[in-house]
Amino acid sequence: MTDLVPIAVALPIVASVVALLAGLVRSRSGWYVALVGSVAQVALTAELARRVVADGAIRYVVGNFSVPYGIELVIDGLSATMIVLVAVTALGVLAYARRAGPRSNPFYGAYLLLVGGLTGMSITGDLFNLYVFLEITGLATYVLVGSEEGGRSAVAALRYLLVGTVGASLFLLGIGYAYVATGTLNMADLAAVIGEDVGYTATLIRASFAFVVVGLFVKVAVFPLHTWQPEAYASAPDSVSALISALVSTVSAYALIRVIYTVFTVDFLEANPLAADLLAAAAAVSVVAGSVLAVAQSEVKRMLAYSSVAQFGLVVAAASLANETAMIGAFVHLVGHAMMKGSLFLAAGVVATATGARTVDEYDGLGERLPVGAGALAVLALAMVGVPPTLGFVGKWYIALGAVETGSWALLAVIVSSTLLTLAYFARLIERIFFREYAAPAGETGVAPDDADVPGDADVVADGNGLPADGNGVSTDDGDAPLREDVSFGMYAVVVVAALLAVTLGAAVFEYAQFVQPTVTRLLS
Amino acid sequence: MVDFAAFPPAFLVLAAALVVPLLSRRGGHAVGAVATAIVAAWSVVVPAETYLRTSFLGFEVALFNVDEFSRLMGIIFGLVGTVAVVYSYASDAENAQTAYALSYVGTSLGAVFAGDWLTLLFFWELMAITSTLLVWDYGGAAIRAGFRYAILHAIGGSLLMAAIIWHYVEVGSFLFTAADGIAPGLPQLLAALGIGVNVGFVGLHAWLPDTYPRPHVAASVFLCVYTTKTGVYGMLRAFPDGNVAIAYMGGVMAVFGATYALFQNDMRRLLSYHIQSQVGYMIAGVGIGTALGQAGAMAHVFNHILYKGLLFMTAGVVIYRTGTESLKKLGGLGREMPVTAVAFTVAALSIAGFPLFNGFVSKGIVISASHYDFPAGPVAVGDFHTLELLLLVGGVGTFLSFIKFGYYAFLNGEYAGSVEDANRGQTVAMLTVAALCVFYGVFDGALFAILPFDVTNGDVVSHVYHTYTTDHVVEGLALAAIGLVGFALIKKPLEKIGGNVPDVDALYNPTAFYGTRGVVVGVTELYAAVDRLAVGLARTSGEAVRSLGTGVVSIAGRPTELRTDIRNGVLLVVFGLVIALAVVL
Repeated sequence: MTDLVPIAVALPIVASVVALLAGLVRSRSGWYVALVGSVAQVALTAELARRVVADGAIRYVVGNFSVPYGIELVIDGLSATMIVLVAVTALGVLAYARRAGPRSNPFYGAYLLLVGGLTGMSITGDLFNLYVFLEITGLATYVLVGSEEGGRSAVAALRYLLVGTVGASLFLLGIGYAYVATGTLNMADLAAVIGEDVGYTATLIRASFAFVVVGLFVKVAVFPLHTWQPEAYASAPDSVSALISALVSTVSAYALIRVIYTVFTVDFLEANPLAADLLAAAAAVSVVAGSVLAVAQSEVKRMLAYSSVAQFGLVVAAASLANETAMIGAFVHLVGHAMMKGSLFLAAGVVATATGARTVDEYDGLGERLPVGAGALAVLALAMVGVPPTLGFVGKWYIALGAVETGSWALLAVIVSSTLLTLAYFARLIERIFFREYAAPAGETGVAPDDADVPGDADVVADGNGLPADGNGVSTDDGDAPLREDVSFGMYAVVVVAALLAVTLGAAVFEYAQFVQPTVTRLLS
Repeated sequence: MVDFAAFPPAFLVLAAALVVPLLSRRGGHAVGAVATAIVAAWSVVVPAETYLRTSFLGFEVALFNVDEFSRLMGIIFGLVGTVAVVYSYASDAENAQTAYALSYVGTSLGAVFAGDWLTLLFFWELMAITSTLLVWDYGGAAIRAGFRYAILHAIGGSLLMAAIIWHYVEVGSFLFTAADGIAPGLPQLLAALGIGVNVGFVGLHAWLPDTYPRPHVAASVFLCVYTTKTGVYGMLRAFPDGNVAIAYMGGVMAVFGATYALFQNDMRRLLSYHIQSQVGYMIAGVGIGTALGQAGAMAHVFNHILYKGLLFMTAGVVIYRTGTESLKKLGGLGREMPVTAVAFTVAALSIAGFPLFNGFVSKGIVISASHYDFPAGPVAVGDFHTLELLLLVGGVGTFLSFIKFGYYAFLNGEYAGSVEDANRGQTVAMLTVAALCVFYGVFDGALFAILPFDVTNGDVVSHVYHTYTTDHVVEGLALAAIGLVGFALIKKPLEKIGGNVPDVDALYNPTAFYGTRGVVVGVTELYAAVDRLAVGLARTSGEAVRSLGTGVVSIAGRPTELRTDIRNGVLLVVFGLVIALAVVL
């Protein structure tokens, strides 16, 4: 019954075509097709994950070719994690997109195509096939980013297209070098040939490594190759921002880890210590630069985007350690980040839909205006910072533990300071949400932007609005800032459920660690 | 079959603490009393070796672990908790205060049922926090005393934490079962000092008489039970084989506390010094370290909690009815408050170790251990060993000071005006405990049954202990006689000295004050300098970051636009590739 494996890739792609065709019959039917497809995908991937738990890794060769030549699909603990994550996230975002849109059928076609591409990237055991799925994912993402009306998202999509294509081309070049050196494209086979025949220090293999890593760095958005990412996340529709921030970079980071450790293997890193240093240095720079840039942003979605640059730096840092604990931490953080960052984008979308607030300044006093949305946003932000016992804490804890075990004190310092830096930009947001008074738009024009940062002035404004805070709040709600009522229950539900999961799932990490332990051990052996 | 492991007693009490503020005063106190009573019952029936192993932050820990030591602690903590809640209700305690008290009880239970050092430390620190809150709740002078209390316990907790971390590095596990006590060497010293703060080692004890007299009378009843006794338990876990220095420290504490108690006129301050003195007996037992010594220590923990709780309750009733703390302003209350006087008499005879009262039984075990299981030491007089002598002298001091307490509070003179006796709730609480004091004094077998070692079995202990031998009874009566005669002799001089005998805190409070002042002034100046620097730095970097956000950065004074457009983006990718190739090749 291993035929289920290719169906996991085929199902979303077929559903994508169905969504397009259904649009010819009846417009706005895409959501329903996507819903059915996503539910089926969740069931399918859950079943596959269950089999991995029960029987260990599943291997499937497409079209009955013999292994080194045919395309092999492999599901082990890590790829099972990714496909379930992709399916569940896609379904969760759908609940949000029902009301928030976009609503056209081609949009849902691209949506499902993205799910198919990501699933393919996760389970393929063939390097060239990985490139194909990377391009499918990329193309679908370009379309999705450009699906917002107006010029800004179109420019962002174009930039993403150009930079992303350059990255993918470098990746392809790297594969080419590897193929020239070894004559094979199957990942397991490549590892064997590189180790036995070609040698880890061969120039072709080293060049291949550099091209592949830089190509994937672009997709993961590691600083300074992230330039496509903030604008793409910030200008896309909220549901798209959530989906791609949660999945695209995550699966690319998974692919990076997969290629480094399955194709090049730990021995390559040992033979070329500078290669490992390259990964660690890029990661450290990404963590610090991403966080600082996040602090500098005034638009909330851009801030969240830069935050991703920093968080993926953390994941790459963990991957560069070649340590089991850190690797488990990397995957916990990948999953945790996907869930938390995706939901943060959705929460920002809820806020924007309900109040129109999109910049950090406009978040003043949000706690009173939109308690549920602001509360969920704050909880997710704190989880992202890594306050115990949230998921964000557990991931960082494992990574830090791995850094201690390998004696990488510099990276440990980066990991610890990343928590402080994350706190720096989220604390700014939380402070505005809960500890500042909402200034009505009319009053805002009177206050120069520079003065708004001085707390004293804010207090004066607050006092000027009248002391009875409750009465003031009510009048604000009724008169000055009418809440727009088009936030659906589904939109709230996704965000609140995600916030609850971010807090509670930390407890399940121990079981998860046991589940992926064998896979990680094999990966690092 | 009940699954005891699924039912940690600490969490039941902590849950009760959360519920209490939401209920009426009657309902809340009922919940608290029932929860603590359940804990006592649970501790009686829970099978030994029940434990809950789990993993916390990647370390293996035992969230709770039942053996004969923790069982005894659980029984008495639960029992006296119930009585103290009833007493709180009768003494007009607010729900908030009882909630703090219950959280304090809960964390203490967590500490004594911990099966590893990490869990113990966790609850130990929480216990310091909850007890501070309990003190603070009363306001007034209790606030500052609470601060001093908190600081000293924070220091003690930190020392213990250092000891435990060191221990972990040496042993590789936090579990009690992984090693025989704390790892030897510096960790032991750190642990002894850290726990020493909690049990009131001489020199580290000043928080005891400083804090316990200040809060609400019902809060004092809670306080006098849990912190020090949890300390004794912790000491026993840290030094399961005893330690000569600790044993002598116990002896010195017994004498020192009793002596200082003698000079006190504030009733609760007097009682607080006696906590130190009595804990001295327990610490001596722990320090001796044999089966007899440890059994004696645990027996004394059990009995002491009963009579000391009772003493604080009687003192509390006196304060509750008269509003007076000082023995100098009291007198003749025996006729006004017969119930309280009777309860006090029972408690006083118990603590002093008079035959037929429970103190006589357990103090006897410790003294017996100091005689049979411990070297004679430097100052042995005849058949009496050094430690034994210290403990006996402490016993005389105890008689003296309680004769003083009883004499000035209940016998001497007439009380001007009329005072009501204890109210019904207080009476019930006091008489229950008083009855237990007598019960365990007469039927010593009931106490022996719950001790971790059977002191009546020659195979278990080095010397079989019998409570009522002629020698022992004579010894108890002799101490009482010496106490009576002594009090008659020193009554006059004692009145002259009054209550103002300086203790170590007279030394270290000013030292701490001026030292802290010096540090504060120095730090303030330094801080101001750093602050100027930091503000300047923050302003510059703030501007830099802001300009980064707008994409315009000032390079060498010239505003330069730093936008990453598509061209630059691709350029950066190529740039990255070049670097990567350069590094790898």
